[in-house]
Amino acid sequence: MGYPKEQVEELKRYCQKLNAVTEDGVTYLYLEGLRLPTRCQPVECDALLCPEPKDGYPSRLYFSSQIQGAYTRNWNVSNARIVERNWFAFSWRVEMANPTLPQLLIAHLSGFAKER
Amino acid sequence: MSNEAISEAEIDIREMAESGREVPNAQVYRVRIDDRLVRVDTAHPTGEILLSKVDKRPCAFELIAEFVHCDNDVIEPEKIVDLRQRGLKGFITAHKEIVTIFINNAPYKIERGDHTVAQILAKVGQTPDAYVLLEEKGGPPMPVPPNQPIEIRGCEVFYSQPQSGGSSS
Repeated sequence: MGYPKEQVEELKRYCQKLNAVTEDGVTYLYLEGLRLPTRCQPVECDALLCPEPKDGYPSRLYFSSQIQGAYTRNWNVSNARIVERNWFAFSWRVEMANPTLPQLLIAHLSGFAKER
Repeated sequence: MSNEAISEAEIDIREMAESGREVPNAQVYRVRIDDRLVRVDTAHPTGEILLSKVDKRPCAFELIAEFVHCDNDVIEPEKIVDLRQRGLKGFITAHKEIVTIFINNAPYKIERGDHTVAQILAKVGQTPDAYVLLEEKGGPPMPVPPNQPIEIRGCEVFYSQPQSGGSSS
């Protein structure tokens, strides 16, 4: 995995298993059993973190199902087929200069803890 | 450090206190903390070490020494206690009203009870408009919704991260 080891180790704290997968030249971080913030249902799910630009967003976080959180979100991706699996994502733009992987993940997860 | 020879393998300090006897030098001291009997292998532990014997930490609890014939005494975490002092029966613990929490690895005092995210971020001069509050609670740091009260009991661990995401539609 071409990311700093300490960032990868920190990211592993958020999930049960972490792998890098590549499809169509895009590298994703496959987070199996990702823990979700408080008040989310389910409390964990599988997720794909795409740290590079995708679908017009600087980065994206895909979930294995639509998550019920504290706030209503615009789930503008449903059943996107990536690495032979269907994924869901809500419209959430993260603008950070050179974030670490954990900072990027938290910035996406904060979409469940922020009204707008 | 005393050069006094160790005379006993294990001593119960309350039995000694109640019988009015001096506590002899021993390898292990049996000490009552709340309703638990713990074993301490030094005559001079700190308050923090004694609290840890009952799985408590000074960020949430205080330690109070109980004596046979005099008032109780609050023991600061870093204070060295003499378990052989005459009349010392044992210890009780009490939940502090003003506890310590940790934000970005620094300690801050705060009143026990419910607090808003804004009140916690204010401790480090930040606001929910500009920063996400993350709480580390039995797992990695996770964002906390700003409209959700946080119950502070002491020793909670928080981090903050600049707000960087928003709904794009």
